[in-house]
Amino acid sequence: MSPRTYRDERELLILDTGPIRELILYHAVFSFGFEGLRRELRCLTHADPYDRCVDFVASFRRRTTSASVVSELNCWIRKTERQGQERLWNRIYDQFRGMEMNEEVIRLLHMDIQMVARFGPVDVSIIKLAERHRQERPVVLTIDQALCGICKDAGLGVRHLHEIE
Amino acid sequence: MAVQKATPPRHSRRVEAWVYSVLNPLLDSIRRELLLLGRGDLTWRAYSKGFEYIKPIKEYFDPSQLPNLEDFLADPLNPGFASEFAAHDRAVDETSSRARQFYDGLINTVLFRRQVEEAARKYQADPRNALKPLNLGKDDLPHYVAEYLINKTEELPGYYVTHGFWKEKKDQFLHPADEFEAYKQRNSFRALQRQVTKLRSTSENLVEHLERHRRDLCTKFDIPAAPIPSNPPRERDRDDVSSYIPRRA
Repeated sequence: MSPRTYRDERELLILDTGPIRELILYHAVFSFGFEGLRRELRCLTHADPYDRCVDFVASFRRRTTSASVVSELNCWIRKTERQGQERLWNRIYDQFRGMEMNEEVIRLLHMDIQMVARFGPVDVSIIKLAERHRQERPVVLTIDQALCGICKDAGLGVRHLHEIE
Repeated sequence: MAVQKATPPRHSRRVEAWVYSVLNPLLDSIRRELLLLGRGDLTWRAYSKGFEYIKPIKEYFDPSQLPNLEDFLADPLNPGFASEFAAHDRAVDETSSRARQFYDGLINTVLFRRQVEEAARKYQADPRNALKPLNLGKDDLPHYVAEYLINKTEELPGYYVTHGFWKEKKDQFLHPADEFEAYKQRNSFRALQRQVTKLRSTSENLVEHLERHRRDLCTKFDIPAAPIPSNPPRERDRDDVSSYIPRRA
């Protein structure tokens, strides 16, 4: 019998805004030629980190995110010109469909007010989502160092996009 | 009193508007069309029954710039574009109809649905795929497969739930030799391919004409082909994602 690898054990990935945004931008730039968006890429600037990210995301059976993350994606997209907004939403729909992304609501009133004031509702929604699914040993994927720190302190699985090997 | 037609002066802002808000965005979009058509990717989506990145000319513009497009088309300095834009839009519309016809033909063919179902069953039964379950609604897969066939999809991103399935089973559905005759779709497949070739040729001619005309206008009116930033880029500009400049096809 072959030894169990980390891939065997992965059930649920929780995606923060940053990695979703990076994947969308990578495809927009490298597959669809939207060169003007290249400067927006922070982590997936070329094929190597992209391939590592793909392998990592693919190694989970299920993927989910919070409705607050979708809202944050909207804030980002609203900065673009009107035609660009539809193009980016098309990419998001295609990616969400492709990876069968689940989306869950964490109600503001269920979040600790001091944590919201300190970290913002998006980060807190990700933490609450990880706590909600603790039994499934979820891993949070983010590009936010602060969120990494909070998750580690809370004993939750977390990876920064730069850490993926 | 009749308004006299006058040639715009050198450095005309009106001509600049044609170049910056009509010719440049259109060149970006049509070059992208050619990039996609070159690899057979129509960006057709089953959920919208339309193309993601191949559109009629007007849809390539921000609505705020449509008056500049209208002005451009109305001026005799820009001859021939109205008919070329119309030809492009007819070709897009026709390609869309052909893609829809092929899709409907496939989806309504019992054999096609049965083959997709069978391929999915075999894929899921293989223990090697236990970690890559399809996790799709029961009836979704035939629509995805039809979409991939229309777009000539070679490979999907590794984290797509259909990645493993398509990688393993795509050859079962691609029928270049008999052109989908098994599904009685030879004619609709051929009609789609012919139309794609026609659209590509229309877009190639249009890009050539647009490039030539931009060069002519820039030379004649002594204006740069793109606005020159008056100041070096500032740090806060890093957050501006408003420009979309595609690679050349």
